[in-house]
Amino acid sequence: MTKKCKWLCVLMCLSLSIGFAQQKTITGTVTDQDNVPLPGVNILVKGTTTGTQSDFDGNYDIQASMGDVLVFSYLGQATAERRITESNTLNVQLQEDAEALEEVIVVGYGNQQEKKIIQNIAVVKEEALENLQVVSADQLLQGQTAGTQIVNASGVLGSAAVIRVRGVNSINSGSQPLIVIDGVPITDTAGNTLNRGGNTGINPLSYVNPNDIASLTVLKDAGATSIYGSRGANGVILITTKRGRKNSKTTLTLDVNTQFSQSTDVPDILTADEFRQFKSEVATIQNGTPTSPEDLNLGAIGSGGTDWLGGVQRTGISQNYNMGIRGGGEKTTFFFGLDYQDTEGFIIGNDQQRAGARINIDTEVNDWLKAGMNLGITNNRLNRVSVENSINAPFTTAFLQSPVVAAFDDEGNFAQSGSFIPNIFARVALNTDELKTFRVIGNAFTEVTPFEGLTWRSEFGTDRLDLEETLRNAEFNTPGGSAQQISVREERWLTNQTLNYTATFNENHNLTVLAGLNYEETLRSRLNVSSTGFLTDDLRNLGSGATPTVLNGDRFPSRLFGLFSRLSYDYKGKYLVEGSIRRDGSSRFGANNRFGYFWSAAAGWVLSEEPFIQDLNFFDYLSIRGSIGTVGNDRLGTFPSLGLFSAGGLGDYNGESGVIPNQPENPDLKWEESKTIDIGLKSSFLNGRVNFNVSYFKKNTTDLLLNQILPPQTGFTSISRNIGEMENAGWEFELSTVNVRTENFTWRTNFNLTTIENQVIQLNEDAATDSEGRRIIDGAIQRAIEGESLNNFFLIRYVGVNPQTGDAEWLDVDGNVTTNPGTGDRVVVGSPLPEFSGGMTNTFKYKSFDLSVLMNYSYGNDIVLDGLRFADGNDAIGGIVNIRRQNLNYWRSPGDNAFLPSPSSSTFNLFNQRSSQQLLDGSYLRLKNVTLGYNLPEQALDRLGNFVSGLRFYATATNLFTIKGDELDGIDPEVTDDIDPLFQGETFFTAPQSQAYSLGIRLTF
Amino acid sequence: MKTIKIITVLFVLALTFSCEDQLNVVPEDNVASNTVFGSLATINGAVVGIYSKNQSGDLNGMAQLTTDFMADDVEFVGSFPSLQEIDQYETLATNASIDNIWLDAYELIGAANNIIVNLPNVNPDEVTGLTEADKTKFIGEAKFLRALANFQLVNLFAQPFQISNGANLGIPLVTKPFEGGDISDFQLERSSVNEVHAAIQLDLLDAIAALPEDNALRANAGAARALMARLHLYRGEWAQAADFANQVITSGQYSLATDYDFFDDNPASSENIFSAINTATDGPQETAGSDEVYVNFYNAAPGGRGDAPFSQDLIDTFAAEAGDRRFSELSIAASDAGGNDTFFTTKYPDVVNNASDGMILRITEMYLIRAEANFQDGTSVGDTPLNDINRLRSRASLADLGSVDLDVILLERRKELCFEGHRRMDLLRNNRNLRPGGGAASAPGADKVIFPIVDDEITNNPNITQNPGNF
Repeated sequence: MTKKCKWLCVLMCLSLSIGFAQQKTITGTVTDQDNVPLPGVNILVKGTTTGTQSDFDGNYDIQASMGDVLVFSYLGQATAERRITESNTLNVQLQEDAEALEEVIVVGYGNQQEKKIIQNIAVVKEEALENLQVVSADQLLQGQTAGTQIVNASGVLGSAAVIRVRGVNSINSGSQPLIVIDGVPITDTAGNTLNRGGNTGINPLSYVNPNDIASLTVLKDAGATSIYGSRGANGVILITTKRGRKNSKTTLTLDVNTQFSQSTDVPDILTADEFRQFKSEVATIQNGTPTSPEDLNLGAIGSGGTDWLGGVQRTGISQNYNMGIRGGGEKTTFFFGLDYQDTEGFIIGNDQQRAGARINIDTEVNDWLKAGMNLGITNNRLNRVSVENSINAPFTTAFLQSPVVAAFDDEGNFAQSGSFIPNIFARVALNTDELKTFRVIGNAFTEVTPFEGLTWRSEFGTDRLDLEETLRNAEFNTPGGSAQQISVREERWLTNQTLNYTATFNENHNLTVLAGLNYEETLRSRLNVSSTGFLTDDLRNLGSGATPTVLNGDRFPSRLFGLFSRLSYDYKGKYLVEGSIRRDGSSRFGANNRFGYFWSAAAGWVLSEEPFIQDLNFFDYLSIRGSIGTVGNDRLGTFPSLGLFSAGGLGDYNGESGVIPNQPENPDLKWEESKTIDIGLKSSFLNGRVNFNVSYFKKNTTDLLLNQILPPQTGFTSISRNIGEMENAGWEFELSTVNVRTENFTWRTNFNLTTIENQVIQLNEDAATDSEGRRIIDGAIQRAIEGESLNNFFLIRYVGVNPQTGDAEWLDVDGNVTTNPGTGDRVVVGSPLPEFSGGMTNTFKYKSFDLSVLMNYSYGNDIVLDGLRFADGNDAIGGIVNIRRQNLNYWRSPGDNAFLPSPSSSTFNLFNQRSSQQLLDGSYLRLKNVTLGYNLPEQALDRLGNFVSGLRFYATATNLFTIKGDELDGIDPEVTDDIDPLFQGETFFTAPQSQAYSLGIRLTF
Repeated sequence: MKTIKIITVLFVLALTFSCEDQLNVVPEDNVASNTVFGSLATINGAVVGIYSKNQSGDLNGMAQLTTDFMADDVEFVGSFPSLQEIDQYETLATNASIDNIWLDAYELIGAANNIIVNLPNVNPDEVTGLTEADKTKFIGEAKFLRALANFQLVNLFAQPFQISNGANLGIPLVTKPFEGGDISDFQLERSSVNEVHAAIQLDLLDAIAALPEDNALRANAGAARALMARLHLYRGEWAQAADFANQVITSGQYSLATDYDFFDDNPASSENIFSAINTATDGPQETAGSDEVYVNFYNAAPGGRGDAPFSQDLIDTFAAEAGDRRFSELSIAASDAGGNDTFFTTKYPDVVNNASDGMILRITEMYLIRAEANFQDGTSVGDTPLNDINRLRSRASLADLGSVDLDVILLERRKELCFEGHRRMDLLRNNRNLRPGGGAASAPGADKVIFPIVDDEITNNPNITQNPGNF
């Protein structure tokens, strides 16, 4: 009944306005605070659907009546309202929105007004992403926000970056954050593809087109993450893709660019003749008789050789095409994205083609029902190469392969290397290693608003990954040839049901209540088959092989069920409190600990709303906040609590099936739990020109899941137990300033810095102990010690070559010089954890030019380059491997300051044993991304007949230079051999990052 | 207001809809431990699993390779610092190659103990098809495999019997399976070599009694007797050594093969008593650790790594008497990992499928044991040492000898069993240096002719004693 009335009223009003209103044409110009005309400003007659947009000169005209109110809105500017008077001209100057604090930000299971957020989150907004040209989405986060550390996994295409939100929170469970794309938590199982050495898991973020991303929100404190319960402990990254805007003109953006990439820096190694000369000099000294290179089977000086390192590199040429269409009518908005990337890596054999499409639609069905759908599809083809400690890794093998080995015979055919280090050119050229993936991530939702303030949102989402890896090794490389195929399907479906109620009481009391339910089912199935014995390389498929050799098929189901609620209250936007709770149940956990409760409480005070601050006339915004709460980490595999026997290849014998114990039972197993305290200050002053935020956090992780090493006599290597405790504490600083702002020139700086201190509070009671009785977890290079940081490099201290004796010298455990150290002489020599790290972005705008310069840095961390045990010294691998050039500086006579000891010294072959000799200072400052853009001015566009509404040319350079220690010459400081926290900062040989230059053009229609 | 009520009711209904039953998910690729003794198939599977562990590249492959590097049959080339340490008698407790030998052996022992301790409590009436005879046989197999693993460990990680008549430290003797819970029963101290040998003997005697003479390709009574013969030989107990070897030879189950094709994936050959059978389809044997060590290291590239070619001394040894089929048929000229021209063994030829078998016990060794034990004891149990040696020489197309001495017997043993993991113990127990013209580091009794107790054991067991030497 009421509804009918309402419609009648509307109709009547409409007819009235047609009949009686004095319609006239209003014209004017919209400018920004610097009097620069603003194109594309939305202008709407308030209370109607009549609207227009300003043109390129900021001019507009619109039909309206006297007394109407025009609403001018533009992203980044404060919305202005003007009443129409008798004048037909209405010029408006918009003011820059102070840090755009009115903006709505995506948080866990909802949105919040930015100025009312008391969770600790970092947001990377569309403006910051717009002009950043990157290959994958993780690079969008690099150096942009405090508390998020991204270490790129070398320049190898498709590899996963190591992403850490506020440091390492776990020892044996995963430490990667949860990634949620438009409400769908995506799967990121590392073991879906074949291990290609080091950290070669496939990057989960390579399945979202960076150009489709509207914003990234990193949830950091418990106040923000506890709503994700058992999965929030490593932080959560929310990715929101672009949507259309209501009542806006449909725009089409076309972006095309070409990129050239090469390696940043490679070590200087010996040429064939230098190698021959060096080996013969050393042998001459050691044998006491002149020994020529020919005597050593190395061929005569001048008899040629191979530049392996040169041969595995190339200039990679890549093309990117991207199209985005965005628009919206009165009821329906849409975004449609299409992209194609054809990327060629700078390492031979490494290239990737990705095609993606996205469609996001929102529609208002009626005044109480909204519905919509987000759908992203990617199809990816990647030719993989190995990295790190693998003889198939182009870079590693090129470093180590002897330069005297010929790659080709006299007729130009590939030659066998004659050693286990293969002819890498032949491996790459003749073998196939192709990974094809198809992934769909999306959801559909309905939003019911039975009355104002209450919304019931119902979401059904899916993440489905289909992956197929095909290997085919040629006869030349594997006698008889071999083939392998792995198919993985990982599918997750989920539903989120949320009720959200917002209300304001007595004008000053604002209340928001959220309650919800989340259910997820994930099934990962994997098929792995291989065969050998092929008649010819032309028979490509594994069915053509004579002998089937591997046949595995596995399925790993898991389920999660969560109930959650959040309550936010504020008084006049001045005093804010928030609390949340989540109960999670997971099939992964022991029967005795299947359910867990996670909670948070937060409070904030917006001081700038108080008269005594306002009287200072200094702050535009000032707030303090604090939060406390708990979150969990469930990354421990699928069935960690059951006592299990394995079957298949591990248990079978001579064609008979068998089973063998592989996991002792532990029904008490549960998730790791982190308790975080976070306090922070947010401020904006000098008319929004300076924004400064600081926060301090302390995160205490208990029930740390440790693979407690069992005494070997048990017949098991380890058992998972919740026994450890660890603490991370640190400071985060963010400063953004507008340094210069004139009509033609602006310069802005964003700077962030993070410090994190890590301490292992407790390891298991029966853990191994060191000589001082402290409990430890020991690795070959690192040792976690109770009471100290999780990551310590624990190595024998190398001193150097004694200039008098020519002996290499180390320190024993007591600090005395020795020439024959043992494993008992290992001590803590460094840490892979930086003292501080962060990034800085400078953006400059001069007339139609813009320049953005992004740098990231890390200070005070060490790295260990384990491969130097091979690339330094004379004897590794029987002396057949190539070495770095500094090895030519060996000790010849007293007084020499040599790199390598005397060939006749007893330490000559001990020199390259594992010690601090392979420990290097990993501090760096890297110029990560420089983009120079030029937007064609409007006059020029006019002259082109307004064929396009925007035309931008840009050039981007990545990794232009890196400031680092001299000893890192030829070595990349960003190393990630493994995403396992216990191997942080270690590498065998990291392939260098790529240095890329790209040129592009962006057209807007 | 009505709408709110409806929505609230709906939502509460949604919340109470029980998803919680959905959380009981069971593994699909593993067997929970409480179900293993539930059927004949899974009990048999648990025994097969012990054989499968014995097949691991560390117990059969790495164990042989590392001792070859310490002795004089192979030259070390290659890239593994851990293997280089072993070659140079600088092995540290953290050595990555020896670690898995220790771990895998105790994994095998744990899997065997599971059968030995728990199977006797299984009532055959409650398991369809299971008989007391099956139980006896399964336990016999588990005991044989446990004895084999203990013997392997004591030979590698303890000084041989000859150093102090077996009074020196051996290895910890584990006799229970770990079933979660308290670990103190698995932090045992080392038993003496004599105690370890006694335990092995007990297991083998039980196995001899329990196992059939013919058990297809699984362990049989003959295998247990053959291992017993080797144990007595290593202890210098000549009469028993000759006796057990003679029992195997005269059992009628085995005979010398006429040629050497039993190395080529031929487990059913009359030559073989017990081998670790590797097949093309059995997949990786381990989730971690080294696999397929034989073909990988003993073969040249491409296919193998070429890290373990013939030593010059072994080439010279074969060259000293031309025409030996054991050289002409079981070696191949190729270049090693360092690019030098040399020879490689072809005892593990299947480089494509990694399906070459580990030769654990074969009848030839029984003739060699009988010959050596008879010679040392001045007896002729079964036959004379001269006849036994000539038997093997004639198969190798070498002329008969007129007389033998210990050197001749050991030389024949070397040429016959090279690359099968015997050489180091043969030298040490006869008080000979591991290297021709070798110094103190390779002399019998030297600290590093045996391995240190591995770091994992040292750090996780306060009751363990490390071997002497700077580890």
